[in-house]
Amino acid sequence: MKRIGGVIVSHGQVATELVAAAETVVGDLDHITAVSIGWHDDVDLARGEIDRAIKKVSQGVGVLVLTDMFGGTPTNIAAMFIKENEVEIVTGVNLPMVLKLASHNRETTLSDLAKEVEEQGKQAIYRTSALLEPQKMKKDA
Amino acid sequence: MLEASVEVQNQLGVHARAAAQLVRLANDFKSRILISRKDTNSFADAKSILSILTLAASRGTILFISVDGEDAEVALAAVQELFMTGFGEN
Repeated sequence: MKRIGGVIVSHGQVATELVAAAETVVGDLDHITAVSIGWHDDVDLARGEIDRAIKKVSQGVGVLVLTDMFGGTPTNIAAMFIKENEVEIVTGVNLPMVLKLASHNRETTLSDLAKEVEEQGKQAIYRTSALLEPQKMKKDA
Repeated sequence: MLEASVEVQNQLGVHARAAAQLVRLANDFKSRILISRKDTNSFADAKSILSILTLAASRGTILFISVDGEDAEVALAAVQELFMTGFGEN
């Protein structure tokens, strides 16, 4: 099965470490790579790095780019590569999103996977104390 | 459908790497494997890491495993074994 590739792009080393953390959990991820944009990197240099990363992970069925923050330079540079059915971007990357991208194992289109990863990222945020409240109440009862 | 309950044995509870182990195991079987937690009314698909993590199952938590499919018997035994051996941790 051909897999949709993944490129994580961030300020600093966040992208590299997110991929490393995901690999610790699920094992080696050949179809996902990281691009860390240095604080003083030149735009053309960064664009070249993202271009190479997309080509590296592409298996011909699309590449999903996950960036750290909407409006930030990594996202703005990555946005130059958006192309229907070829490159999609979802911003606000977190570890659950990388795990979702890492573990998708059925045939799906790039735009559907992008939507799933977006949803997953939002759903995976919890104010943890709120989850514990009902249990506390049960104990008191 | 086959069912059994297990207690989380390992110190760290069902954390990310443990959940990943469970997913790898679950994917070896055709059966649908559901893990549920009655005290919080939550349930998870054993083939999804992120779903399992939402159970927030710490050490001592009782979980119910429901397995449905042609290889349910072996799948249930394998999942029970994984929990009983504490995911190979202590």
